[in-house]
Amino acid sequence: MRITSQAKAATGQRILESATQLFQTVGWEDTTTREIAASAGIANGTLFNYFPCKEAIAAALIADSLQAADREFLCRPREETSLEEDLFSLIWGGLKSLRPYRDFLAPAAETIFSPLAQFSAEKTGDAIRVHHLGMVEQIVAEHDGTNPIPVVLLQLYWTLYLGVFASWAADRSPNQEDTLPLLDQSLKLLVPSLLQKGNHDERKSQ
Amino acid sequence: MTNENLSELLGALASGDEPAALPGPGEERLHEILAELAQRPVPVHSLHRLWTLGELSAQIALAYGALWVRQWFSDAETRKKRVMETNLRLALSTFHRLGYLRGAMTKLGQIAGHFPQLVPREIADTLDRLQFEAPPMHYALIREVIVNELGKEPEQLFASFDREAFAAASLGQVHRARLHTGETVAVKIQYPGIARTIDADFRNLNSMLFPLRLSSDWEYVKAQFAEVRRMLNQEVDYRQEAESMRKASALFQPEDGVVIPRVFDEYSGARVLTTEYLKGSHLKEFLAGDPPQALRNQFGTALYRAQFRMYFAYMNYADPHAGNYVFLDDGRLGLLDFGCVQHYTAEERELLAVSEELIGGDEAAFPRLLELASGVRAGDRGSERYLEMTRRSYDWMMEPMHATGPFDFGDGGHLERGFAWFSEMVRDRMLRGHPTYVYFNRCVFGVKALLYRLRAQVDVRSLHDQELSRWRR
Repeated sequence: MRITSQAKAATGQRILESATQLFQTVGWEDTTTREIAASAGIANGTLFNYFPCKEAIAAALIADSLQAADREFLCRPREETSLEEDLFSLIWGGLKSLRPYRDFLAPAAETIFSPLAQFSAEKTGDAIRVHHLGMVEQIVAEHDGTNPIPVVLLQLYWTLYLGVFASWAADRSPNQEDTLPLLDQSLKLLVPSLLQKGNHDERKSQ
Repeated sequence: MTNENLSELLGALASGDEPAALPGPGEERLHEILAELAQRPVPVHSLHRLWTLGELSAQIALAYGALWVRQWFSDAETRKKRVMETNLRLALSTFHRLGYLRGAMTKLGQIAGHFPQLVPREIADTLDRLQFEAPPMHYALIREVIVNELGKEPEQLFASFDREAFAAASLGQVHRARLHTGETVAVKIQYPGIARTIDADFRNLNSMLFPLRLSSDWEYVKAQFAEVRRMLNQEVDYRQEAESMRKASALFQPEDGVVIPRVFDEYSGARVLTTEYLKGSHLKEFLAGDPPQALRNQFGTALYRAQFRMYFAYMNYADPHAGNYVFLDDGRLGLLDFGCVQHYTAEERELLAVSEELIGGDEAAFPRLLELASGVRAGDRGSERYLEMTRRSYDWMMEPMHATGPFDFGDGGHLERGFAWFSEMVRDRMLRGHPTYVYFNRCVFGVKALLYRLRAQVDVRSLHDQELSRWRR
């Protein structure tokens, strides 16, 4: 029997919802894929057709939320905004969309965003990075900034982004407001480089 | 709050009293540091931030420790030179690090500026360049602070909201907006995260001042620091500022010519304060129009009356710098920013009462005032010096009161004499003093520096007597 793509999507969604609930109640460490499968009402083996491991589930949750936030960002009027402000809105909007997952985000992100991550056949963590950096390149181009952005600068941006992400995930201040100045100051540091032109000829080949 | 009082005071004084510029090599080094600063990243890791500060404290303590030891073996002239060298080196190092830490950490510089008795002039001058300015906030950040504080986006709360700030405020910035009911308002927004850094900053400052603990006056210094800490914590809570504005506002009638903007509670919180927008000019613009003497006197009188009225209501409007006053076109004086307002305790009220007894001519009140103000009793060892300086400060404060008719604040002599006794106290490290004087002196010098710039003539005696009789009623 062939299952329809609709049914497949529904099962995938059920897995994500069950996993979220278990991560939030039982905790990231103590939740197993077996329990997620049981909670979603599918066989353990079936779960692996969708996600190779629980990190991939968390990564899918993060990716879905971030992409929804990105769509929202693109809908906002941006005629009067600066590059710094746009990047701030992009990042902070993304983080806010992840609020329901904050409890388990830090340990999950540690694996998902580790440069040494081996967990994912689909490399969801990597996909998040590629997608986000694509958004950044698009926004920088809109502001007539550095084009193309040198790989080193993109890597630096991603490192700062992860630092802000990690700080936000562990931030206990109300509404994670202690991360606001961190993000603000990080962008103040980086944006001038993103707006610089020239001096990048040697890196163009990359 | 900014450290504008000190700079205003210095700016108001004749050029001979301007702080000495840093010597040549120091200035060069300063440029180097500034150039380097522009290249350096802001520390984004809290551990790094703490480590940098720890290093700063250690450096200052060590440098002074070394200086003290060397001083025992130096003759007077070389000693002076070494003090200068050490001060300059420390000033540059402090500037370097505070500049590097920027943001909330420049609070440290601002705090040190409150204590000219403790901080050598060269350091105070350098720190003065670091007048605290929160980094500018773009609209997306503003929106987050408003949402966090008031639960809604600015577009939902206000009929219109200017994306650009029209003024920098202590710890944040001010935006003009319009309410759905039509009123134009000023929305003051605090840079996020500053409030929580104050206690940590004070712990760091305490360790910076470690060498002073050996001094017999340490208890006084500690109490003064506690007062500054209390006031800064009050200042970052805009709800307390709103309360001070309401209290002050109730003290004035339309005929007083003093306006305190109305607070809109439903658009205010701990980090956002929405008040009536007062349209007018600040001191500099007002003076640029070369106002007639009568108008100068009118504003000067309103300024002094406001200060007296609040004082007799046990409030000290303790940050009287030019940016906090608006000269309205209709001749009224607007007072902005009530973050730095002391509300007097029972002990401070007693100080006020004893001072008034003395002003009323009861000389027997003087020793009591001395004891309350500095813990010194006549006859104590070393009391003569405190007695003399308290008398001089009192006489100076009374100069405008003893004038027959209006006192001319435009004559800089009065301000210079005040600065002379204050500098002498600073020079002699006379640290004993009730903690209230940190802000009292700030207020007195601030007001007088403003009146000097305004070149106002004010009948202080008659104002005082009117306000005193209101108080007694």
